[in-house]
Amino acid sequence: MKRPLALSLAVLLLLSGCSSTEESTTIFAMDTVMTLTAYGSHAREGLSAAEAEINRLEKTLSVTREDSEVWAIDHSAGAPVTVGTDTAALLNAAAALGDRTGGALDVTLYPVVKAWGFTTGDYRIPDAEELADLLTRVDDHAVHMDGDTVTLPAGMELDFGALAKGYAGEQCASLLKEAGVTSAILNLGGNVQTVGAKPDGSPWRVAVQDPEGESEDYVGWLELTDEAAVTSGGYQRYFEENGVRYWHIIDPDTGAPARSGLLSATIVGKSGTACDGLSTGLFVLGPEKALDCWRQSDDFEAVLIGEDHTVQITAGLADRFTLREDSGYTLRIVEE
Amino acid sequence: MKKTLSNRFWLILLGVIVAGSALAAWLLLSRVPTGSIAAIYLDGELVERIDLAAVTESYTRTYTGKSGITDVVEVARGKIRVKEADCPDQVCVHQGWIETGVVPVVCLPNALVIQIEDGSAEPEIDGAVG
Repeated sequence: MKRPLALSLAVLLLLSGCSSTEESTTIFAMDTVMTLTAYGSHAREGLSAAEAEINRLEKTLSVTREDSEVWAIDHSAGAPVTVGTDTAALLNAAAALGDRTGGALDVTLYPVVKAWGFTTGDYRIPDAEELADLLTRVDDHAVHMDGDTVTLPAGMELDFGALAKGYAGEQCASLLKEAGVTSAILNLGGNVQTVGAKPDGSPWRVAVQDPEGESEDYVGWLELTDEAAVTSGGYQRYFEENGVRYWHIIDPDTGAPARSGLLSATIVGKSGTACDGLSTGLFVLGPEKALDCWRQSDDFEAVLIGEDHTVQITAGLADRFTLREDSGYTLRIVEE
Repeated sequence: MKKTLSNRFWLILLGVIVAGSALAAWLLLSRVPTGSIAAIYLDGELVERIDLAAVTESYTRTYTGKSGITDVVEVARGKIRVKEADCPDQVCVHQGWIETGVVPVVCLPNALVIQIEDGSAEPEIDGAVG
């Protein structure tokens, strides 16, 4: 009599215990669609805090909202503007990442990005003279910060498009942890931030898109635990004219789409902000200089997909990246 | 007498537990998807769910949101895409077909999202960068 009772109790426990509470929310913000998924008993409150944070950051950092701090800076005509901690943190991060990438990441490129039509979709090809003129208004060293006061010379404009999603992911991860969440994955429009591991303790599996395939085709996958992964590629936002593809990642040296031999650059690291900025910077730098930057750093790993169909992964990813057998790409592990 | 009552009590309890387990098992097992369902959201609202496994002949359907932008969605057996759109950036069209649910198709200017529910990505993928 006792045995079947114990057995059915065990079955009942097994059935009810196998699913961890999963909560998910989708948000339209920062010019993308974000899906946040958290697990466990604190998931709901953690996601509410994260959603509020994303909306707050959007209000502060948007380059198109007239009530944002970035708008105030861009329309200050050279006058000092008082900013909050987020804008200040991003300006400091932008300056550091700009220096680490030899200027390949520059948050003052906005006038050039606008001229190509990437902000509106009204695409056009600016001529050399126009680009040369616009580039005189691009220089992130001209942004002056003194405490919580920012001064941007008249005629210049900055935007945090290359950093804001990474920063938002990082901030949300902190808020989720504060709420008691130990397992979450945040998809911020092709930009992934993880909190802890999956509910079963195994790492999150995050696919790296095939730059030459459709959006669901991927070259392989990364295993991530409590870190971010961000990809920049020429295939995400582009237009074609006379058979030439023009993409949205601009080289600050030329003012034209960066053609460096890479199809995409994916950065993995603890700081979502750094991953976001470095993915743009390393894409612009190209494979050799990107790996030089990696060798001089200790805070990130990279997956660099080249036009020659090689997938170069840095040493720290050797055990955490799996190339799909039928991907059509060749894997190369880069040592220190 | 007392013993018989006790036995009957345990028998009833056992019956309740077995029935409960069976019910729980049935509820859980019935959630297993029979095909991939594409859920279409417009302006944040679910407007349609399409069983892609049940599609025999491909067809198109148009969705116009509050933006006034129109997306032409092509539905085929096991897959779905935005075939044409009059949005300025064409990011949704460039995305191409989706079938596993790793990433949704998104037309941001029109606030259109196509998400495949209970997709069958092999191996199991939790997210994607790109």
